[in-house]
Amino acid sequence: MRVPLSWLRDYVDIELAPDMLADRLTLLGMEVKGIERWGAEWRNVVVGELLSVEKHPNADRLSLTRVYVGDGEPLDIVCGAINIAVGQRVPVALPGAVLPGDRRIERTAKMGVVSNGMLCSGDELNITGDADGILILAADAPIGTALTDLYGDTVLDVDVKPNRGDALSLVGLAREVSAVTGAPLRWPDTDPPEDGRAVGDLLTVEVRDPDWCSRFVGRWVDGVMVGPAPERVQMRLRAAGQRPISNVVDVSNYVMLELGKPIHTYDADGVAERDGRRHLVVRRAVGGERLETIDHATRELDPDTLLIADDRVPLGMAGIMGGASSEVGEGTTRVIVESAIFDSIVIRRTGQRYALRSEASLRFEKGQEVRLARIGADRAARLVAEWAGGSVARGRVDSAPAEPEPARVPFRPARVNRLLGTAIDPAAQRALLARVDIETLVATGARDRVVQVAADPRPLAVDVEITEALVAVIPTWRRDITIEADVSEEVARIGGYDAIPSILPDTAMPPWRPSPLAIRDLVREALAGAGLTEVVSHALVSPRMAETYAWTVELPPIEGGSPAVGRPIHVTNPLSADHSVLRPALVGSLVEIVSTNVRRGRDDVAIFEIGKGYGRDGDSSREWWRLGLALVGALEEPSWSRPRRPADLGDAKGVVELVCGRLGFDPPAWSGAPEEPLLHPGRAAVAAATTGHGRLALSGVVGELHPTFAAEADLRGARLIVAEIEIAGLAGGRPADIQALAPPRQPAAERDLAIVVAETVEAASVAGAIRRAAGPDLASAALFDIYRGAPLAADEKSLAWRLVFQAEDRTLTEVEIEAAVASITRAVAAVGGRIRT
Amino acid sequence: MDLADLTRDLESLRDETVFSLGAAADVAALDALELDVLGKKGRLTVVLRGIGALPGDDRPRVGAIANQVREAIEAAFAARGTELHGAELAARLRAETVDVTTPGRPIRRGVLHPIEETVREIAEIFGQFGFVTYEGPEVEDDLTNFQMLNIPPDHPARDLWDTLYVDIEGQLLRTHTSPGQIRVMTATPPPIRALLPGRCYRYEAIDASHASEFFQVEGLMVDEGTTMGDLKGLLDQFAKALYGADKRTRFRPGYYPFTEPSVAFDVECLVCGGSGCPACSRSGWMTILGAGMVHPVVLQYGGLDPERYQGFAFGMGVERIANLRHSVGDLRLYMDNDLRFLEQFGRAGVGS
Repeated sequence: MRVPLSWLRDYVDIELAPDMLADRLTLLGMEVKGIERWGAEWRNVVVGELLSVEKHPNADRLSLTRVYVGDGEPLDIVCGAINIAVGQRVPVALPGAVLPGDRRIERTAKMGVVSNGMLCSGDELNITGDADGILILAADAPIGTALTDLYGDTVLDVDVKPNRGDALSLVGLAREVSAVTGAPLRWPDTDPPEDGRAVGDLLTVEVRDPDWCSRFVGRWVDGVMVGPAPERVQMRLRAAGQRPISNVVDVSNYVMLELGKPIHTYDADGVAERDGRRHLVVRRAVGGERLETIDHATRELDPDTLLIADDRVPLGMAGIMGGASSEVGEGTTRVIVESAIFDSIVIRRTGQRYALRSEASLRFEKGQEVRLARIGADRAARLVAEWAGGSVARGRVDSAPAEPEPARVPFRPARVNRLLGTAIDPAAQRALLARVDIETLVATGARDRVVQVAADPRPLAVDVEITEALVAVIPTWRRDITIEADVSEEVARIGGYDAIPSILPDTAMPPWRPSPLAIRDLVREALAGAGLTEVVSHALVSPRMAETYAWTVELPPIEGGSPAVGRPIHVTNPLSADHSVLRPALVGSLVEIVSTNVRRGRDDVAIFEIGKGYGRDGDSSREWWRLGLALVGALEEPSWSRPRRPADLGDAKGVVELVCGRLGFDPPAWSGAPEEPLLHPGRAAVAAATTGHGRLALSGVVGELHPTFAAEADLRGARLIVAEIEIAGLAGGRPADIQALAPPRQPAAERDLAIVVAETVEAASVAGAIRRAAGPDLASAALFDIYRGAPLAADEKSLAWRLVFQAEDRTLTEVEIEAAVASITRAVAAVGGRIRT
Repeated sequence: MDLADLTRDLESLRDETVFSLGAAADVAALDALELDVLGKKGRLTVVLRGIGALPGDDRPRVGAIANQVREAIEAAFAARGTELHGAELAARLRAETVDVTTPGRPIRRGVLHPIEETVREIAEIFGQFGFVTYEGPEVEDDLTNFQMLNIPPDHPARDLWDTLYVDIEGQLLRTHTSPGQIRVMTATPPPIRALLPGRCYRYEAIDASHASEFFQVEGLMVDEGTTMGDLKGLLDQFAKALYGADKRTRFRPGYYPFTEPSVAFDVECLVCGGSGCPACSRSGWMTILGAGMVHPVVLQYGGLDPERYQGFAFGMGVERIANLRHSVGDLRLYMDNDLRFLEQFGRAGVGS
């Protein structure tokens, strides 16, 4: 809320400098987001007196004026307005002035006559609403004074929190200032001067829906003359961010800002009579009703809309916007003032349904003090009479005149201290509360012993010893204080949060729990060490990406895992289609990131992300953690001593094997995945790795992106290797403990074996044959070379293995090793291979 | 052959050998000469064979002379050997000299994402104070995201969270990590010290300071005696751990429906040090998180008796924490994943 300080001073004396005041309000919970010097643009605009006004020699519609601005020669200024006369004091923008809207004033020739500046309208200065005439200043405005010194103001931008609707007003904020400084609050005069006619003879109101309109107060002012509001009022409204419209309409905005009470005014002649009196009805709309609102849009009204109507037609949407047919305009002479209380939820929903939310409806949404309906009606009637003339009929039409008593909230000063960690004695707590008009009483009756610990929607009350409790009597405007904890906050707030001690907890510790981040962090560190950079991408992607980049390959399920399931989850109110579906997989995001970086000139991109995939399984949602990888270009950084080598499937598999090693899993078994449409059919692999105990703990797919998708991703011809892996423990857990053995004491024996097989035979099947045939003493079998070419046949390859034999209890004999090799040789023959010698 | 001849021959062999040693240019020539003179069939052996022909009386005398000559020759070989090996090593070292000013053979190191690293650091700091980490789902229900946090339907405070809804009845994308408070309270009895990091979503047009997806870390501490003073002390420690032990912090009233009292927590402006600058809107302070004492209604929804238990909760935007530390001015950079941006975070500095 914008708070002009000169206006705020109507209600409370302020001696603090603006930045000090802002600081104090902020520390009180009324956060001042900015301090604006209002009228800073008027620095080169000064008060001048019109010495002469003559017709422009060359233009009928212009005048040539001579203006005295206090020093030097009077200035000749050309002016187009017709409301000026000799002797008036007017704002003069001197050459060099920059008016609102960045309008620069220079010395210029206008129709052959030099103009040494400009006479300004209120609108040009953003000071009043009048754009037609020059702003005529007070006759005693000191000539030559800069307007910024005369009308400049300081405007605080206060962020009033949603629970403090009462402070969304100048009076409300003045109360807060008063709490800070102790200066008393000054209420504006609200009683209107009344004539002899009873309002009940002129106006009747029928509230058919008291649940939605708990109170409706009406006032009658007639004989008004609609015109501009006093300039002082217009200036205030402008500074507060409202556009002045007319004296009557400005009353509504003025009272809303002043008291926080939205007011509506009707042209009484636009309201139909019943029994010779204007008759207003508050009711819900019926199907098919239409209303032209004052923004000149005609709206079809739904039955959940609360209306103000007469017997014929709707006149306005309650609390939202008035109708055009009863709008106060130039010809209006008789005014009905409406000061009502509408249900906050009804107003909120209606505003949202029609996308019509205003300063007024926001105040209704936050709830209104019941008393304000009466006070606002009085104040508005008084101001209409004051600013637009006219006569106020005696009394009010009031649908529910009863006003509630202040609420009593019993609280325990000791409990306040227990919550805050303070030792503020009860008397001091009472004194603090008194500063915001919360009276405190010693608990006496049975009901004072019932302390409300929690309120709706889960209320809890406890009986306490009467000696423990005090009763806080809550002023009617503080609708936010209903339970003991609210009183605690008020004590803390008024006493200042500085006064709360800063200590460290000495209470019981929770039991240990494995961190869900632990395994992710192990993997992240391992991958960063291997040269991959971590990315974090949007979980919300385009429908196209969600559809295209989803895996179809069937993966072996890991133990306790969460397989990707179901259909994608869509956002029903997305901001843009690009972010409207929760991604089922990471791969699409990674491809997009690689593509972006390649287009920005990167040749080598090695990235990973540990993130979630999402899907719906019937009516429930599922989320699953995955590791995604993408490699394009060199993984090893090329240098003067090493040529550049683009990453291939082997590099990606190596990264997966590194992860397995880091987490204590066995190396993964690889198998082909030629059916996966996202991948090159000949370069797609499925990884499956188990823990030492044989449980499947890692499962995923690794491969080269299919050339069709690679082309779409605009990778400049580079090959992109991607992987998406499920790992046990990514969602939380601790890594398995490594079981360490003493180094073997017996020497190991090595044998190299070159095995020739057909090109179609996979290395994994040869490795399997070796392991099965070698007997218990084979410690490892590592593929160290693949050879193709003479003297092998064209469809053959030679796989060279380094076999390490090792027994725990003895040195293996030559005979034993030869026997194992012979067994391997036979097994290899069985899969169609032979030993190359 | 008599004693004099033999003595002469020995001395002459010694002198010749010393001369030849001087001429031996390298270790190979030295080794050849050694074989020639001192080898099993070498010249010294040949000369000494003459001893057998001498009369018995002369033998001890010539033996002594022969030993002297052998020692002299061996000493000469050793001296020359040292010289020649030294020269050869020096030559090898000269030949093996490389240009030591070329850059090293690079080892590519990946960089961890600043958001994830900030989350980890926050978890580590609070871990020191006994906070354990939990996670909750991102697709939440309205009940847990709002209602159980004391934000009923149509509550004006709902304006604080512009929400993205999904095509499952009653479900939405969590707007904050606060629903984790309910999940933790219903999962574990006090004492609770929980940290809940995670991804959140808002219906928010994306610009330099607004994101539709972002990360938060929620904290929750509940037991019988946790006070607002504990909250204040802990957050002060947190800010000092993150931003430096000399940083001042400030507690001021805030508003959240799920805390009462509520707190906005400020740290002195990291740009101007508190004197006021555009970065802190001239206030000298930067707000880094919101907090407060858990609202009794929320405790009840968490299954706890608010008469017995009390505690605090806090929530922070990870991007904001990271922004302030790394002088990043545009939120979009984090999810843009331009490697030129991310790779800067690999330069770990050593703080004071």
